[in-house]
Amino acid sequence: MRNKNIQFSFLVIMMLASMVACKKEEYTIPDPVSQLTNDCIKRTIGPSIVSLPLEFAYAMAIPKSSGKLVSAQVEASIAGASGTYLENRSFYTNSSGVDVPVLVGSPSLTVDKSTKVTYSIDTNAATLRYYYVIPEEARGQSVSFTFSVTSSDGKTASYKMGPYTISKMSIKRNLAVSNGVNAYISIEDMAVYNAAAAAAAPGKIDLVYLFRAVPTTFTHALVSPAADAAYLPGVTLPSGLNRSTKLRKVFNLQDRNLANLQFGIYVDDVDLRDVDMVDMPNFAIGLRAEAGVWVETADKKYRAYIFVNSINAAGTAVISMLRYTL
Amino acid sequence: MAKYFKITLSILMISAIIISCKKDSVVDEDGLLITFRQECFVSNFELLGADFVSVRSKTAVIDTVAQTIDVEVLFGTDLKNVYPQFSLATDCKLDPKISGRTDLSNLASPKVYTVVSGNRKIRKAYKLNIKFQ
Repeated sequence: MRNKNIQFSFLVIMMLASMVACKKEEYTIPDPVSQLTNDCIKRTIGPSIVSLPLEFAYAMAIPKSSGKLVSAQVEASIAGASGTYLENRSFYTNSSGVDVPVLVGSPSLTVDKSTKVTYSIDTNAATLRYYYVIPEEARGQSVSFTFSVTSSDGKTASYKMGPYTISKMSIKRNLAVSNGVNAYISIEDMAVYNAAAAAAAPGKIDLVYLFRAVPTTFTHALVSPAADAAYLPGVTLPSGLNRSTKLRKVFNLQDRNLANLQFGIYVDDVDLRDVDMVDMPNFAIGLRAEAGVWVETADKKYRAYIFVNSINAAGTAVISMLRYTL
Repeated sequence: MAKYFKITLSILMISAIIISCKKDSVVDEDGLLITFRQECFVSNFELLGADFVSVRSKTAVIDTVAQTIDVEVLFGTDLKNVYPQFSLATDCKLDPKISGRTDLSNLASPKVYTVVSGNRKIRKAYKLNIKFQ
């Protein structure tokens, strides 16, 4: 009798368990948008560097029965640099995956921190891109944005983005260096000089670019003016050049910003701040395309990452750099 | 007589149990398994620069009899910041351990690395001789 009761109870529990497990949640159709709505994504990844743009995509829509879009506006907490704008074209992606623009408004107008586009066509949905060029004033600070849209029924919707921390780094791309001519590199100025210009400001010259076909391991090199003469063969330095800059070679670190938007690696403030430069040499020879060097200036004022974009056997190269003030 | 026999037997049994329960130490001070292998040699050697690219100009010469490793490095190699890599016989370990960037710039006093066999009973000291191309 007792066994029979246990078996019955077990059966009931099992049935209940299977009923609970099989319970299916009913799908409910989401409510259609009944009012002015907006949304935003940040399209730029990687560190936010002064002079480079931050890109956003701002989407907005209103039911056709409620009216149409009148204007879209973005307000940044720090006014953007020259080149900041809100697209007056809305993009959609076609079946081939290509973004196709549709003109929807007049070119944006930027006044101080605010950038505005007024719609010129009758539309009730659009996605506008916003390009915020990071100004010098924002270096090391946080920037946030308020996107807003106004519709013909007098309603307004807004969307906040950020805050985003702006990097302390500076960037300079595509500097052409050549053996014996434009060969003197200043980290402080993020510039390349010839011998005459280097002699005029010797305290600013941190590196010398040179190319030697022999020995075969030498090829393209970045060498401190104070390096051993063996690493400056046949070089007569302009008077006054005597800085000993530390260099650390690195390979496979193709920063996306320096490599002209190729690759998916980013060098950030923390990398430049934390790189171990203790006991590093003051020369780097045998550099190849897509190689790089960490740099620390003699006065320890700056650290930099120099990326070799391209090299030429005639003794020229194109370099790009990120510089961080310690 | 039977009493003495029983006592002796009991003592023998207890001793046997104690001995049989003694556990051999199978790992060394680094937590590595101690095996029965007696092989003790370096099978390959690599030297990487700070950028983790090889700085050898040719294959390293390993003499397992003289216990030396001769390696020639490229012109301009910064020997203060290199990463030596040893390949050892099965179950061997290296002393001192290589924990990261190594300074091998003192060419006048070549660094010595000792290979310890799998059974941890044989030790062979290899002298690392470096010269520039």
